[in-house]
Amino acid sequence: MKKNKHFDYDLIVIGSGAGGSVAAHIANKAGLSVAIIESNLIGGECPNVGCVPTKALLQAAEIYEAAKNSSKFGIRGANVGYNYPSIKAWKDLAVKRTGTYLGEEIYSKEGIHVIHGSAHFINPNEVTVGRARYSARNFLIATGGKLAIPPIEGLEKTGFLTFHEAINLIRPPRSLAIIGGGAIGCEFAQLFAIFGTKVHIIDIAPRLLAREDIDAGKFIEERFKKQYSITVSMESAVDKVESFGGRKRITIKNKQGESQIIAVEEILIATGKRGLVDIGLENAGVHYENSTISTDRFMQTTQKNIYAAGDCVGPYQFTHTATYQSRIVANNIIHPRKKISADYQAVPRCIFTNPEIASVGPTEQELIAKKIKYKQVNVPITVIGRANTSDISDGFVKILADSKTGVLLGATIASPHGGEMIHELTLAIQNNMKAEQVANTIHAFPTWSEAIRVACAKIMRS
Amino acid sequence: MGNIMEKRIVKKSNHTEGYQRHKLINSVRASCLGVHDFVGSAELTAKRVCEHVEQWLESKHEVTSADIRRIAGKSLFKYNPDAAYIYITINEIN
Repeated sequence: MKKNKHFDYDLIVIGSGAGGSVAAHIANKAGLSVAIIESNLIGGECPNVGCVPTKALLQAAEIYEAAKNSSKFGIRGANVGYNYPSIKAWKDLAVKRTGTYLGEEIYSKEGIHVIHGSAHFINPNEVTVGRARYSARNFLIATGGKLAIPPIEGLEKTGFLTFHEAINLIRPPRSLAIIGGGAIGCEFAQLFAIFGTKVHIIDIAPRLLAREDIDAGKFIEERFKKQYSITVSMESAVDKVESFGGRKRITIKNKQGESQIIAVEEILIATGKRGLVDIGLENAGVHYENSTISTDRFMQTTQKNIYAAGDCVGPYQFTHTATYQSRIVANNIIHPRKKISADYQAVPRCIFTNPEIASVGPTEQELIAKKIKYKQVNVPITVIGRANTSDISDGFVKILADSKTGVLLGATIASPHGGEMIHELTLAIQNNMKAEQVANTIHAFPTWSEAIRVACAKIMRS
Repeated sequence: MGNIMEKRIVKKSNHTEGYQRHKLINSVRASCLGVHDFVGSAELTAKRVCEHVEQWLESKHEVTSADIRRIAGKSLFKYNPDAAYIYITINEIN
């Protein structure tokens, strides 16, 4: 710790993504002198290469798919086609409109100093960026994550895509092997399958969306196989990859040790991210383990003047949890005597497939593991009027509630607009509400949210 | 990011000095020889560790001597775990 109390800034934020920018703006508005250090694009991953471009591409895919299948509604969609460079141009426009292009200007106008380069801690109050040193009373580490690339023989040599490159392709690949069946893997699988790519998903986990409820994984796998002819190899690992006649030959080994060889045009790695922690944390006395920075409930690291938020902290790697943590950090720096703590009881999780998979709270498997007594209902989405008018024949709302009190514990939704619907249950779970209270609330007809009311009414009676 | 020899190393005493490859090579080699490694093998290991550290240093301008020790120690562990133990422990004592 620096002995004299004169620092260049009150707060230096390392990373301008969701975990950093929110705190930078709030602290600046509160009168603190703030600098933000960014080694890459202003705005971080989400608006530039993550959520925003992916959702823009998925929106185009959804419209294309809907148009192709519109004849049942009396609309002639037989000649519907797409122009992928134009779809990419639409995606670029969506990215541009996020404001990240003007991000630096906005910071500067507000009086936040933007420093470009990689930060490296020298001690708990000083970082170097290039040849310059900057000191601050407080730091917020919001460095985000880097892609986890599995050590597969031949992968580096043959080359591969990550979602960073996949969003910028100028045409969909003819065939694609996706290594990783999590949220990113599933979203890209559906995206490219809609545009005609032959997709093969490979994952070591027993089911797709392994972190979500078992019903969600089964549902999406069935849909992928049935509707998009996607091949799914679960409990399988990629043994090696090699170039073969302009294509990529992949050797897959399943749990039983049986080998299968497939040849594809491209490989997409979707095996998650790891926190970016190579910033001299040891020099600052900040503890981290397995690329995750340890923080307490106030988002303080093991060095009390250094906070951390976002993907480098966990427990979730979402933009909305990063901004939530960033708000907590800002509050705790501005009001050290009125600290607030992070609460992850009700964090909504959304996977933007069609239909969307959304969930909140623990899954059924997590409740079993924790030996919590629960009751559950799984209501098919077809029970509500909106499914009829939209001609939707699959999807569900699954509710988990305490077996004695009926207090809502968790929920999973597979439905159009599931990502919107989940917030009603998030609010209910956050406030320890009972299923009865949701069931007794009037829901408009005909809306998708009616399925939530039906599920809550059913769980009351069970 | 510039010449490797222009990198600045912040020492324990808080003064800085330029990165000196020979210092790193000598300390790694000495650790290897300290656990009875062959001279040729120690030279080769020291060279590889040095290359790894310099690759890591590429994107940085100023790091601490503790950083160099940590990165070198990690790299050395792959080639000679006993020497890495000596390298890290002796440096910690010093």
